[in-house]
Amino acid sequence: MGLDVLGVSKTFDTRKGRVAALRDVSLRVGRGRFVSLIGPTGCGKSTLLRIVAGLVEADGGTVSIFGEPPERATAAKHVGFVPQSPALLPWRTVLDNVRVPFQVNRKADSVLGRRFRDPVEVLESFGLGDVLHSRPDQLSGGMQQKVAIARAFVFDPSILLMDEPFSALDELTRERQRHELLDIWQSDQKTVLFVTHSVPEAVALSDAVVVMSAQPGRVRAVIPVNLPRPRGELVEATDVFHDLERRVRSELRVAWNDNHA
Amino acid sequence: MHEETATETSALVDATDQSSEEHRLVEEDVSRGLHYWIHPRVWLPPLVAFGLLALGWQLYAVHNRFIIPTVPQILTQLVDHPGLFWRNLLVTLQEAVVGASIGMLAAFVLAMGMCQVRLVERALMPLAVMINVTPIIAIAPVLVLAFGFGMTPKYIVTAVIVFFPFLINSLTGLRSSDPQAHDVFTTLHASKWEILLRLRLPSSLPFLFAAARICVPLSVVGAVVAEYVAPGKASGLGSLIETAMSLSDLKTVYASVLVLALLGIGLSAVVVVLQRRLLGWHQTAPRRP
Repeated sequence: MGLDVLGVSKTFDTRKGRVAALRDVSLRVGRGRFVSLIGPTGCGKSTLLRIVAGLVEADGGTVSIFGEPPERATAAKHVGFVPQSPALLPWRTVLDNVRVPFQVNRKADSVLGRRFRDPVEVLESFGLGDVLHSRPDQLSGGMQQKVAIARAFVFDPSILLMDEPFSALDELTRERQRHELLDIWQSDQKTVLFVTHSVPEAVALSDAVVVMSAQPGRVRAVIPVNLPRPRGELVEATDVFHDLERRVRSELRVAWNDNHA
Repeated sequence: MHEETATETSALVDATDQSSEEHRLVEEDVSRGLHYWIHPRVWLPPLVAFGLLALGWQLYAVHNRFIIPTVPQILTQLVDHPGLFWRNLLVTLQEAVVGASIGMLAAFVLAMGMCQVRLVERALMPLAVMINVTPIIAIAPVLVLAFGFGMTPKYIVTAVIVFFPFLINSLTGLRSSDPQAHDVFTTLHASKWEILLRLRLPSSLPFLFAAARICVPLSVVGAVVAEYVAPGKASGLGSLIETAMSLSDLKTVYASVLVLALLGIGLSAVVVVLQRRLLGWHQTAPRRP
């Protein structure tokens, strides 16, 4: 059980005609696995994530999140979504932002055996204990993104979907965030589908990297990452890590050439 | 050597910290209200500007006594008949405030409906545009015919004049919410109503206040226009101007105009104060210079 994507296709009608965003895409993320989607711009990785999140409807194929279609999974609050920008509510404090999931769609909360976390505890474990009552605009970009992740963690969804959450951060902050996310994930081992542009990010975080190519968007290769866990910052200095990076890069190059041939 | 540089840098950092701390203290001091107005740099520039205007007026008026009253004459008129101006001010104030409240509330409720149901927008927006482009001065006499000389036609004119700007701003505001925040709410399966209440409505507040700053002074215009065409019990500053004009009592006319200007300033100030209180989180919240 986990996330199963089977033969998903999607075309968009644009002014330039029909664009095949995804063609016959299949992938699977086992329970407690961390899988990254990487690929050139326009390969449909974000579209795929949005289909899984129930934000976009696929033209064909099936998506199953622990046995449920996206519509049912989101209705039951089983899906945690972390968008590209933190998308916090600027009029609320950090703590009140993380409480948002408890204030909407309350029907889903009354289900028996539903587990919740204490927002304060989650924020403290994310190192945000000192800024509980701050406004988002008083926080750095990295901290804001952590609040957004906390907001997706707090209602204990069965899958986390992250759409390039660190893309707006500077390189150093980005590396810090990557390792903090690793620590958080290590203690919890959530099922994660993670969209990224960054090769080191994908390799450092994932159990498998899915390389996609564009027009139409499809899966080019799945590269398993067998680095031992828990992974510290030092893992990025090992030869195995560099070999994996090289493999992902060469697949990306082929994917890129596919587009521009 | 490295260490030395490090110390220097940290000293530098300390220095900037301190100055920003001082800056903050000054700002806090400033925001304490009355304190702020004591600084000459705050009250001196506008005072000089008004002084020059009054001086120019006076020079012109002295040479054109039959067209324009002098500044002392206008002020004397105010001081000699405080009850007259106060009574009429209250009437106009009531028309403006009640009319504007009705107009803005109606516009906001309609904007929420338009935002939630596309069909409502398609059906009613052309009607709203039509009301907006019809000169209010042309409708006012008909309203008097229909609703009499009481307060009702005045409320209606005032409400109509603020309705459209507030409608458009509310609608823009309700639609201005962050699409990615919208995505987060959608993946939580929040209902349309929950999204309206918890995301769209707070997001629209900066737009509502921007609109209020336009609409509130506009409501005074509405009230005066209504009084012009429907003097009613001959009360309100607009009626006072109308009556004084027919008697060639220019001192009263200009004194009334001055009171109207002060009324506009007072109402605008109330909006600014509310905006500052409620909108501290937003960058458009007015800051003191």
